[in-house]
Amino acid sequence: MATNTCKEFLNHLELWMEGERHPDAQAHLGSCTSCRNLVEDLNNIHQQARSWNLEEMNLSPRVWEALRFQLEQEGLIRSNDPSQPESSTAGWFSRWFRILPRPVMAGAYLTVLIVAAFALMKPIDKQINEARWLNGTQVSTTPLHAQLNTEQKVVYSLPNTNPVVTASLQKNMAIVDNYISLCEKSVREEPQNEVARDYLYDAYQQKADLLAQMTERGENAQ
Amino acid sequence: MPEADAIRLAQQGDAAAFERLYRLHSRRVYSLCLRMVGNTAEAEDLTQEAFLQLFRKISTFRGESAFSTWLHRLAVNVVLMKLRKKSGTETSLDEMTEPDEESGGPRRDFGGPDLRLSGSVDRVNLQRAVEQLPPGYKSVFVLHDVQGYEHNEIAEIMQCSIGNSKSQLHKARMRLRELLHEALRDQARENRKAASADSGSEG
Amino acid sequence: MNAIDAMPEWMGKGNWKIASLLISGLLLCNIASAAIPPPRRLEQHFKVTAHPVITIHNPNGMVTVKAWTKSEVMIISTRASDDVEVEAEQMGNRVDVSTHATSDNVAPDDMRADYQINVPEDAELQIHDDAGEVNVANVLGDMNVETVAAGVDLEDAAGYLTVKTVDGPFQCLRCTGRIEASSISGNFRLWDLRSYHVRAQTSTGSLLFSGEFLPNGLYHLKTYSGVIEVRFSPGDSFDLSATSLKGRVNNQASLTPRTHAQHFYSRFGNSLFGTFNAGRAKVELSSFDGTINILKRE
Repeated sequence: MATNTCKEFLNHLELWMEGERHPDAQAHLGSCTSCRNLVEDLNNIHQQARSWNLEEMNLSPRVWEALRFQLEQEGLIRSNDPSQPESSTAGWFSRWFRILPRPVMAGAYLTVLIVAAFALMKPIDKQINEARWLNGTQVSTTPLHAQLNTEQKVVYSLPNTNPVVTASLQKNMAIVDNYISLCEKSVREEPQNEVARDYLYDAYQQKADLLAQMTERGENAQ
Repeated sequence: MPEADAIRLAQQGDAAAFERLYRLHSRRVYSLCLRMVGNTAEAEDLTQEAFLQLFRKISTFRGESAFSTWLHRLAVNVVLMKLRKKSGTETSLDEMTEPDEESGGPRRDFGGPDLRLSGSVDRVNLQRAVEQLPPGYKSVFVLHDVQGYEHNEIAEIMQCSIGNSKSQLHKARMRLRELLHEALRDQARENRKAASADSGSEG
Repeated sequence: MNAIDAMPEWMGKGNWKIASLLISGLLLCNIASAAIPPPRRLEQHFKVTAHPVITIHNPNGMVTVKAWTKSEVMIISTRASDDVEVEAEQMGNRVDVSTHATSDNVAPDDMRADYQINVPEDAELQIHDDAGEVNVANVLGDMNVETVAAGVDLEDAAGYLTVKTVDGPFQCLRCTGRIEASSISGNFRLWDLRSYHVRAQTSTGSLLFSGEFLPNGLYHLKTYSGVIEVRFSPGDSFDLSATSLKGRVNNQASLTPRTHAQHFYSRFGNSLFGTFNAGRAKVELSSFDGTINILKRE
């Protein structure tokens, strides 16, 4: 039977599906079959949709042939020019990250930072929700933890059109670096301190985001 | 050839660069179009149209967003235009929702029979249900649940806010559940009719 | 015969003096105006329908957005120099506004453009402004605002509000809907809010919150070393979790302590857990080494 609590749960349902577990909502689900079925249905829909993406997509070669023909007709393409200009001087790092949108870039940096953290500290307690600090858009990159400082230097060397913005980014990078070292110290002193770990992961997230912002602005200025 | 170089060369009209960009992105664009229209021939035409628009406009790409985001935005617009023409209405591309009595979201049924969908959410049923979604819901659902884009990426592709993307996805899933329930009820009704017709003919 | 004597009769000596004064004045004005470049102001109008989306990319300058009753977007831009151009393009129900340099090596002050924008109140906004200031008033659509050093000021806004700064301060006044804000060193002031979901985090900035705690609302405020100050009224109803790992928690609310097992934070630092009245909203405050103050609203 529907109750006001079901109505309140429905108001909360969107957040629940995004992963937020309000205790009242949790308690209601424990006692309400109707809402439990609803959540299960929505999860099933999501799972089934996910499995579609795994299916092979075979695009007919005629699509490219027709497209190329039309581009030639419109004079949009021409034959290759053997004397191509050199690529960006920023090297492999710049080429790799330039194609990524900022959230993905931040995720890539975050992955690197966390891999470095693993090298420094004990394994993370499994109770901590790793998905919370691992950016959902992280790109699978080859381990770059050895390049952390190098990356930061490369980013600092990129040009920027506004010194006020550059100064702000660099100042706040120093703040976050300080924050990271204090949290790392806390975690080393109290390995079971999940609060300190939680803050450390937040700091990594902030650093990754700052690096991504600096890279983006530096690339735009080039 | 790295993508950045391909973009730059394509902006200068280089044929190999165009083909490189096509090879890099065509499968994903085609997948998006196919999920939206449910028909391979139409999806191929839409893929071709999306790339044609892309290559016509490539000189205007300034790198403010990722190239793939820009491309997928074009592709989504091409698909939505097509769906709008098909529906024969003059409604704005931004019309996303089916209004209900209260707040513009799907109906919230209380106290209905506790039909479980598990076992009924198979590919065929879900595909049929997705085809019945309004274009806006369909776009966000396909981009997120099928193609795996995150909400911030969808916000850039759809030119909406992250909150809007989350809200549309939730409404899409709720609407799909309603459609799947209706299909389940229709199937149950058909089965009952068939069973009573059989027993009538035997009697 | 001198020049004055050669003049026609109608131009008497007195009139000549006035005329010469006028001509000198005009010349001086021209010289002065040539030294001060004329303002580069451009006004553009775009017709839109319901729920338009407006995006603004402005590296440097002020962006002021206000709601009005017309189904139209009006953009008034003022450029600091000819080295920068402003561009506004409409695609369907979306208007994109951006500022670009017209040449390389433009000085930051010359790169500046200020915008005054009027939008329908249901517009959605996406604003990127690195340095300058962003002010939005009475707009009820979703908003995503990102800045580096620019301050952000939202008044009477609603919808899904996402604000991100690096060190720009953020003030949110009389806003409703859902608010997510983050910064590294910006100060936050969230005042007279009526929001059901507030998630705000600043590392070294201070965080001040004074608003309604709606039933089933979630209020998550976090700093690293900044002070968190939350104001409550006697009629509020919330469940509180407050933890500072190395700082203090000061409380003026009469809480009913919770007896059952709590958040993992409770084992570390200085913590306070309890319910105020019926505990309908959820308030989570945490700081690494900042002070947390839970104070009565005056």
